[in-house]
Amino acid sequence: MSRFFADSAGRMKYLLLKDFIMLKRDIGGIILMFVMPIALVVLMANLQESTFNVVKGVKIPLLLINNDAGELGLAIEREVESSGIFEITKGEGSSVSDMEMKISASEYLLGIFIPEEATEMIKGNVQRYVVSAFNGIDKVPFKEDVKLTIVVDPTANGSFYSLIMSTIQEKAQKVQFAFIMKEITSQVNDISPVVISADNFSGEQFTVDAKFAVPEDSNIVPNAVQHNIPAWSLFAIFFIVVSLAGNIIKEREGGSFTRLLTMPCTYTEYLLSKALIYIIVALLQFAIMLLIGMYLIPFIGLPALETGHSLSALIFMALSAAVAAIGYGIAIGNIARTNQQASVFGAVSVVIFAAIGGIWIPIFIMSPLMQIISKLSPLNWGMSGFYQIFLRDEGLISVLPYGGALLLFGTLSFLAALLYKKLYGQYS
Amino acid sequence: MLESAVYAIDIKGLVKRYKGRVNPTLNSLSLRVERGSLFGLVAPNGAGKTTTIEIMCGLKGFDSGDVKISGLSVKDSLSAIKNIIGFVPQDIALFPSLTGRENLRVIGGIYGIRGVELKLRIDELLAQFGLTNSADKLISEYSGGMKRRINIIAGLIHRPQIIILDEPTVGVDAQSRNLILEELVKINRGGTTVMFISHYLEEAESICDRVALMDGGRVVLEGNPRELAEQHRDCKNLEALYFKLTGKQMRDTYE
Repeated sequence: MSRFFADSAGRMKYLLLKDFIMLKRDIGGIILMFVMPIALVVLMANLQESTFNVVKGVKIPLLLINNDAGELGLAIEREVESSGIFEITKGEGSSVSDMEMKISASEYLLGIFIPEEATEMIKGNVQRYVVSAFNGIDKVPFKEDVKLTIVVDPTANGSFYSLIMSTIQEKAQKVQFAFIMKEITSQVNDISPVVISADNFSGEQFTVDAKFAVPEDSNIVPNAVQHNIPAWSLFAIFFIVVSLAGNIIKEREGGSFTRLLTMPCTYTEYLLSKALIYIIVALLQFAIMLLIGMYLIPFIGLPALETGHSLSALIFMALSAAVAAIGYGIAIGNIARTNQQASVFGAVSVVIFAAIGGIWIPIFIMSPLMQIISKLSPLNWGMSGFYQIFLRDEGLISVLPYGGALLLFGTLSFLAALLYKKLYGQYS
Repeated sequence: MLESAVYAIDIKGLVKRYKGRVNPTLNSLSLRVERGSLFGLVAPNGAGKTTTIEIMCGLKGFDSGDVKISGLSVKDSLSAIKNIIGFVPQDIALFPSLTGRENLRVIGGIYGIRGVELKLRIDELLAQFGLTNSADKLISEYSGGMKRRINIIAGLIHRPQIIILDEPTVGVDAQSRNLILEELVKINRGGTTVMFISHYLEEAESICDRVALMDGGRVVLEGNPRELAEQHRDCKNLEALYFKLTGKQMRDTYE
């Protein structure tokens, strides 16, 4: 038995040598496996950070049509201007449809329409309310509807739309609250013998203290870098399936695989040598991406990546992700008949795994059905494990279920490749 | 068993059917190759030659019959057989992004040859086939003839008892073709059994001490080329004899 393992190790050494030289000379493959993921990680971290900061740096072209001659219209104008995120063009005397035409022609990304007599209508509403209240009338008084119209360019994407709408609504509510408070005070003073003032009343009665639930002794601050570097590194590791499966098929189509099978080299040894080389590549990939997150990312104005306190958890998760990706790549390389099949299926399936796994959009905003489906994605297991390390600063025990699932997936994929060879072994 | 077996290759009643085909590709094929002979298996393309050698090398299974290499059955002793035979496939079955020397080093290493022994064996074969000066070029930079030659070297690196070559001269220039045929004769004289598969009957006639002609998945004629010519004087050569027996030309292709 020991002789068998010694012989096998000897053969593996030469298979590894072969795979190493082939990989070293495959410049296109190296670019695909190293440079592209690095570009992806840096770009995505930067883009996501930019999305969070969109309101800070970019001026959004806004058409403001204020047909109200009163204080409400002016107050809204002031609040919108004070936000500092809009490049405001004022249009007068236009209708909502005029504004819609300009927005749909992409002249502006956003339009706000304040109707005529808006101030007077709200004043009337408040007056009727105060009179009813002071006269003990239970019936709700007549209320005129003041309709503030916001029109958004249809090309604006969902997250931008949500961000802008929440900003506008926040400003509008602030103006509305202050205006109504002032009007109620004014109306009450008209009928009350004691004059009251609302000048010193603050609309901000409570403050919001938002913080992330991380251990107190942790250096980790959840941000776009902590989210994106591990998530996109994982995506990049899985993208190795395209190179790996392509490599297997190229050897099969080129005939060198046939020669290997006529030599004293088992199919398992052949696949294991490939797996070993590519696992090393995947780990190198991951290490480089972490180093970039720690040392390069700060140079482009983003916070440095914090890797948490548990090196063993990090190594375990990286190794598990590599095993899962390589096992999957080997299965595709064995089952696909052509390089085209492997490339298309490999790439598309990884993108699907990423999409349903929560790499692109958070799982909590998915529908209940999609949340269940997302649990089937190995990228979801990997991401969940990495988030334990990079966002919660947890240790090895807490990542064991996620890493274990990835290891199982990789092993089953590898066994599926061997089984497929056994059942349908003739490729020529 | 290995050295004492009379026949290097002994195939009995071999049947191989492919899904979707009405007729079997190999139809009770029987064939014996004596130890130390230079044997030519000749048939038009698609007649089952490649299937026969793929079965001998364990690359394909078969439906019935028996195949023994040096007395060992491919069904039971494939791993031992892999050390006995050297296979030279029709395709250039090498790693194109490795140099000639690197390819031979990897292949020799997998066969268990190590260190100085491996280096000397590589140098010896490269010199024998006129490739010493090209040894450190990538295979992808080799000419067609050079690729054919290094493909053969790869099958010889471990000093096999039996070398099986599938169409080793396809697509090469006359010079490389002559060199390959000359070297096969030398290798055979050194004691290695050579099984040479081709659809060029004149090549087999010129170098083989025995030939077998295949049609319909079985051997239709077998013998020494000169003796066969003597026995069938009405045919000007083996090509004409094959046409007389089967109604087919060697350049025909089976469906």
